[in-house]
Amino acid sequence: MSDYTIIGNRMPRIDSRAKVMGKAKFTADLKLPGMLVGKIKRSPYAHARILNIDTSKALALPGVKAVVTGKDTEGIKWGVFAYTRDQQFIQTEKARYIGDEVAGVAAVDEETALAALDLINVIYEELPPIFDPMEAMASQTELIHEDFPNNINIHVNIDTGHVDENFKKAHYIREDTFVAPEESYFQAEPYTIAARFDHEDCLEVWCPNGGPHMKSKPLSNSFKIPLHKVKVRKIAIGGAFGGRSEICPVDYICALLAKKTKRPVKIEFTREENTIATRQGHAMITTHKTGVDKDGKVLARETTCYMDGGAYSSTGPIATSVPFLSMEQAYRMESVRYNGYRIYTNKPIRGMIRTHGRGFACGLDTQLDMIADHLGIDPVEIRLRNSRQPGDYTSTKSFVDSCAMDETIHKAVEKSGFKKKWGKLPPFHGIGIGTNSVQTGFPMGIRGGSQSFIKFNEDGEATVMSGVVDNGQGNDNMLVQIAAEELGLLPEDIHLVSADTETTSSDPGSYSQVSTFVGGHAVKIAAQNCREKLFKVASKILKTAPDNLVAKNRLIFVKNDPEKSIPIKKVVRISLLNFTSVNAEGGYWPKVDMKREWVSNPYGQMCEAFSFGTTIVEVKVDPDKGQVEVIEVTAAQDVGYALNPLVLEGQFEGSIAMGGQGGMLTEYHEWKDGRCINTTMLDYKLPLACDMPPKINNIIVESLDPKGPYGAKEAGMSIAMSAAQGYSAAVSNAIGVHMDSFPLTPDKILAAIKEKKQ
Amino acid sequence: MEKILITLNINGQSCEVMVYPNDTLLEVLRDELDLTGSKESCGEGACGSCTVHMDGKPVRSCLTLALEAQGVTITTVEGLANGDDLSDLQQSFIDHGAVQCGFCTPGMLMSADALLKNNPRPDKKSVRKALAGNICRCTGYTKIVEAVAHTGNPKDHCPDCKPGK
Repeated sequence: MSDYTIIGNRMPRIDSRAKVMGKAKFTADLKLPGMLVGKIKRSPYAHARILNIDTSKALALPGVKAVVTGKDTEGIKWGVFAYTRDQQFIQTEKARYIGDEVAGVAAVDEETALAALDLINVIYEELPPIFDPMEAMASQTELIHEDFPNNINIHVNIDTGHVDENFKKAHYIREDTFVAPEESYFQAEPYTIAARFDHEDCLEVWCPNGGPHMKSKPLSNSFKIPLHKVKVRKIAIGGAFGGRSEICPVDYICALLAKKTKRPVKIEFTREENTIATRQGHAMITTHKTGVDKDGKVLARETTCYMDGGAYSSTGPIATSVPFLSMEQAYRMESVRYNGYRIYTNKPIRGMIRTHGRGFACGLDTQLDMIADHLGIDPVEIRLRNSRQPGDYTSTKSFVDSCAMDETIHKAVEKSGFKKKWGKLPPFHGIGIGTNSVQTGFPMGIRGGSQSFIKFNEDGEATVMSGVVDNGQGNDNMLVQIAAEELGLLPEDIHLVSADTETTSSDPGSYSQVSTFVGGHAVKIAAQNCREKLFKVASKILKTAPDNLVAKNRLIFVKNDPEKSIPIKKVVRISLLNFTSVNAEGGYWPKVDMKREWVSNPYGQMCEAFSFGTTIVEVKVDPDKGQVEVIEVTAAQDVGYALNPLVLEGQFEGSIAMGGQGGMLTEYHEWKDGRCINTTMLDYKLPLACDMPPKINNIIVESLDPKGPYGAKEAGMSIAMSAAQGYSAAVSNAIGVHMDSFPLTPDKILAAIKEKKQ
Repeated sequence: MEKILITLNINGQSCEVMVYPNDTLLEVLRDELDLTGSKESCGEGACGSCTVHMDGKPVRSCLTLALEAQGVTITTVEGLANGDDLSDLQQSFIDHGAVQCGFCTPGMLMSADALLKNNPRPDKKSVRKALAGNICRCTGYTKIVEAVAHTGNPKDHCPDCKPGK
């Protein structure tokens, strides 16, 4: 058992009370005096030149306070990287997908704003659209962006060397292609933003975000105002899943309307807008060629992936890399060559999503199962022969410190009864395993670290400031737990100020699984520094050395002599009487290779720690209907250390729902001429309570990472990914066909069963 | 279109409010009465985030006209607690970790509360069925189902049940 008082407990979250009472405020709940309603005019064409925009009739409509077009944006182009600045916030020359922003309106109410949109007259010249990434890549002349030949937005090339030689040494080689269409986040909260310029001309913004500092910087650049004048505020956030990491045109448009009208403006997306005009997951075509020795050990692998990136770059370089990186972390491979192409098409923009590359990951694992079949070994054995080990370097030269991949496999295998069931289940009843790994962040230059400030109030309670944002996963609670543990207070004594760019320091954001490892770590260090100050004062009163003191339960006491104690509140007051404030700061910067870059130099230390996960799934398939009934899911993850098992289990279970149940069985987008035809919750099939497996076994594996706070790494992402793999493997096992097109919908399952019979 | 004056009985209080005939109950609750606990997630009756009770029955307030809500007793998520005292169901949601982002939580609570009024000790299968009209994207539903099934009927094996409440 640990010596921790608060860390490691099943602590209910501090934000739950406001949420169950309906008191938590989300952006759509905000009302500011004089607030206007904003709406966006979007292109009805997938690819069209904009010849003219006439806003005069809209401006003349009573109640309309402002109309903005690309002319108001000074032609600013946005991109996450200097080499991906390809998106104007409001298009002036071309619309590149159905939904591209061409104008914005602010009016006194929604009805007027919508009427004004209809009065904006845009004259387009239709251009031939390209929807298929392979066609787009083959084209020399039909370019979606003039300066990107063959419509190739990003090309990531990784080559460890010796690939061709190692293929020659291989005992068995397979090459298989796997496909999966786009998927979406469907966060419960549709994207909403409110913006105003205050009395000091500061831009104040409320919106769901994956990192407030990642919103404030581009807004500061775009409006050419200092960073301190952009105040992205804290607000409850209804989910992100990777889809709210970067700035979107609507952020700029809303702020521009607020600037023009000198009034607060709020833009609430419809569910359809949330689906087409934020981000989507990439559709991918992935070919894995793998060569193994006679024991199934991977000697060489060559992977080529074509990703449908949609109209603009977004986080393209990252999205093109992460599907590969997750697999190179999970598995050893002696040599590997990766070519990832992100290709422009006239479809909505694709970004990062929780299950990075479901077709990529499921393909790689399916192929491993095929190889195992050929060699006559079972899926568990082939994974154990290739699994990542502590002390390894990944193919792209990241040192892997803590790693309990094998333990997750062994524990999941034991709990699920895999060995007893494999090969012995009746027809159409199957079991499958998936393994994966994710990183805790990536090199982000000056924004890769997080800082925290803590001040004690005279009543003995503390205010903790941190840039970490909570998208719903429980980051606020994580920070409070850490601060309370280190300061010797109770969670209710901590007042958290977070995710506000005016008061908190830069933080990498809550995507890429970095919040605990970096942001939580910063709070831990700040709290330790603050405690040191308390101990210095207390040591004089208790007449012992500071390192002989312990803080717990609002008291500071002498180790091994708990009778000798003093309330923390009293220490704070004595300190203040002695003209010394009790506050401290602390920061954490992960030691990563700053020279590593997604495209130009994809080698070097990626992050300090990796999580590893195994999911085993047992299913029954109805051979007449193609329906999949999931009987049991067993999920085991090496989380480093479980800061709060209650929260952690929730992350595992949510990961199984999104990665496995939805991601592998029902979720995908359908298209007609570039128009997404299942944009709503009625048409896009999200898992419901009645769909979920009746039994989920959560297994927490703790490898105690030497650098993570308390040994913690990240909570649940390698379950989201391995769940997708486990689901696909189980269905393939049940029907006796290795599936290569995901998700595994009834039509595909029935076709596979039929083909097998013939 | 002209606004008309209607009277709604919400959370035990009678409220007079001017509404357009095409205003939904959700719009009136959120925009006119500042009861923003009920959420709009899909706007087409698919997600359940806007669920409120009319005479104890769960309804989609996004598909209900405010005019239709006259003459009945309306309860929203704001009416579940008795002042600062949470209902057993609300407390159970907290204790079981059933709340993540919290956007679906109000609707989820209203559907679950209606179930428990008819069936105070539901098994998990009945809970899953009763919540089939409420979409949650964060939790995978496990902890929500446990929170509902264990409300007022704590289970010995559950580490998050607080018996004796």
